[in-house]
Amino acid sequence: MNPSEIIQNNINSLSYFLPELILTGMIVVLIIADLLLKKENSAWTSLLALGGLVIAFVAVLNQYDLGSRSIFNDMLAVDPFALYFKLLFLTSAAFVVLLSIGSVELAGRPVGEYFTLMTALTLGLFLMASATNLITIFISIEFVSVTSFILATYLKTRRRSSEAGLKYTIYGAFSSGLMLYGISILYGLTGTLDIYEIGTKLAASSANSLALLISIILMLAGFGYKLAAVPFHFWAPDVYEGAPTPITAFFSVGPKAAGFALLIRFFNVAFATEATNGEWAAIAGVNWSQLLAVVAAATMTLGNLVAIVQKNVKRLLAYSSIAHAGYALMGVVLLSDQGVYATLFYLVVYYLMNIGAFLVVIVVQDLVGSESIDDYKGLIWRAPLPAIAMGVFLFSLTGLPPTAGFIGKFYLFAALIKGGPGFYWLAVVAIINSVISLYYYARILKAMYFDQQDEKEPASLAVSPYYVVLLIALVVPTIFLGVYWAPLADLANYSVEFLRAL
Amino acid sequence: MSLFDVIFYLFAAFTLASAALMVVSKNIVHSAVGLLFSFFGVAGIYVLLAADFLAVVQVLVYVGGILILLLFGVMLTQRITSVDMRTGTLQLVPAILAVAGIFVILFRVIRTTSWNIVPEAEAQFIPTAEKIGYLLMTDFLIPFEIVSVLLLAALIGAAFIARKGT
Repeated sequence: MNPSEIIQNNINSLSYFLPELILTGMIVVLIIADLLLKKENSAWTSLLALGGLVIAFVAVLNQYDLGSRSIFNDMLAVDPFALYFKLLFLTSAAFVVLLSIGSVELAGRPVGEYFTLMTALTLGLFLMASATNLITIFISIEFVSVTSFILATYLKTRRRSSEAGLKYTIYGAFSSGLMLYGISILYGLTGTLDIYEIGTKLAASSANSLALLISIILMLAGFGYKLAAVPFHFWAPDVYEGAPTPITAFFSVGPKAAGFALLIRFFNVAFATEATNGEWAAIAGVNWSQLLAVVAAATMTLGNLVAIVQKNVKRLLAYSSIAHAGYALMGVVLLSDQGVYATLFYLVVYYLMNIGAFLVVIVVQDLVGSESIDDYKGLIWRAPLPAIAMGVFLFSLTGLPPTAGFIGKFYLFAALIKGGPGFYWLAVVAIINSVISLYYYARILKAMYFDQQDEKEPASLAVSPYYVVLLIALVVPTIFLGVYWAPLADLANYSVEFLRAL
Repeated sequence: MSLFDVIFYLFAAFTLASAALMVVSKNIVHSAVGLLFSFFGVAGIYVLLAADFLAVVQVLVYVGGILILLLFGVMLTQRITSVDMRTGTLQLVPAILAVAGIFVILFRVIRTTSWNIVPEAEAQFIPTAEKIGYLLMTDFLIPFEIVSVLLLAALIGAAFIARKGT
């Protein structure tokens, strides 16, 4: 293409980039609003941020009419797959903004930068979900990382928060370095950065499989870091514990889902060829789906085993979210539309119940001032609603009916069984893990419902109506999707479609 | 061994030696100087590979900007030179085994792979600055713009973290 055609392509692409442009505009608006508003009025920035997310949401919905296409000279893709993730990011970001407004932890701290950075983080997640070039893939991961580092350390006067930011940064730099090395090997093999071209070149030639394997493992370091998958999970517990709780809730959902989006798109375009009936074949020489299966099994097992001994609920949920990344990975290893579909469905379910669990942590933190399991004792007598809500979320996280978590796990297992005997062992590992997870979730339930509270605690704690509304807003879909899940399933099924070739 | 190879290995050895000095040194100023020479070594390799623009950026940004700033930071911070830095060695044997294993694998990969190499006839020196400028405004416009938003966010964050108070 000659330069003028490329420039024309860039200009034409702008109209397909509207949600991202809205978020970028909001970043600037929030900075200026923060400068203009007086300090006592600074809470308005949160509503501004929320408004920006809503406008972007409408813009994303409008994109459903556009179909699949590649924009900005094949740097990004707009397709149902990306849109599904964008809706997930926007709604979870909106929930996190709502969580932040009420949070006592953040009270009295400057909010302008907070919501600016959160909008920026959402923009980064958008780019991760649609990147189709190794350069945009790397930059979008860095975008999410850098904004996350700052948000993790937002309570900078608190030691734990600073520690969280520093640990996140060091592990982030390390895994970025590994990933870049993997990218350089891949570039050395194929001579291109475009993942579609990489796919066709690798399928056509028999590249050195050892070099390819090394490259895949190194690139997995970058993806695994975002998913918090073993062995790139070391940062997760400390960061989740130290970061402000609303941000922890966002970290456990947003960047993780974005990591899945990137992983699915990249591996299936670059390292697989489509066969028939929505099933693909991995490129010759490297059996990366087995590699991912081992990562999935290790991730869920380690997450669950270490969660057993945790005494801090936030830390426990950190390990549990590592384990859930392992479950969701099961859908990716299958190399089939049905597997991806199960993963997409599971990610939304996981996001509802996990943000819900973190919301209860915030409520209890505000009421009792602690995140220790011991302080959840007798919660049902002191604050019934959060205790019941936590019960629903934990049941759902375990995967018991009639909650959304059950349906999510059901789809994953169904896809695994349908995928053939090759992955039966993974299904067995996942079932054993679900049983283990029941044990430690039940520990919180037991503390809340059956243990006696200490006498000196006040008899009942008043939950603010604001939190009551939020709790109900998360409990209802968690149960509702366990009973009537067809709309979400249809949407997930439609969203399996992503741009496979140009 | 051609002249090209000799120069390459000289620069590579220089880079590695300075990097090692940076890691091993117990004095933070010595470490900074080690890093400085390591950056210079990499710039030399860029020149050797006819990546003129990259070499200049490497010297201007890393050596001229980041490193000088780092040195100022070190020198203006009181008593930082007397901070007891832990540079001791832990788990020496497993570390050596792991590193040696990775080295052998990577060495094999580098030697046995048929890399996608530009034929030598085409690999002559052409100034790259103009080409990079064109590419940033055409093919790579969107990554370029994304990075600028990223830098804005990083700037806001840095100002926030560096500010006094909450």
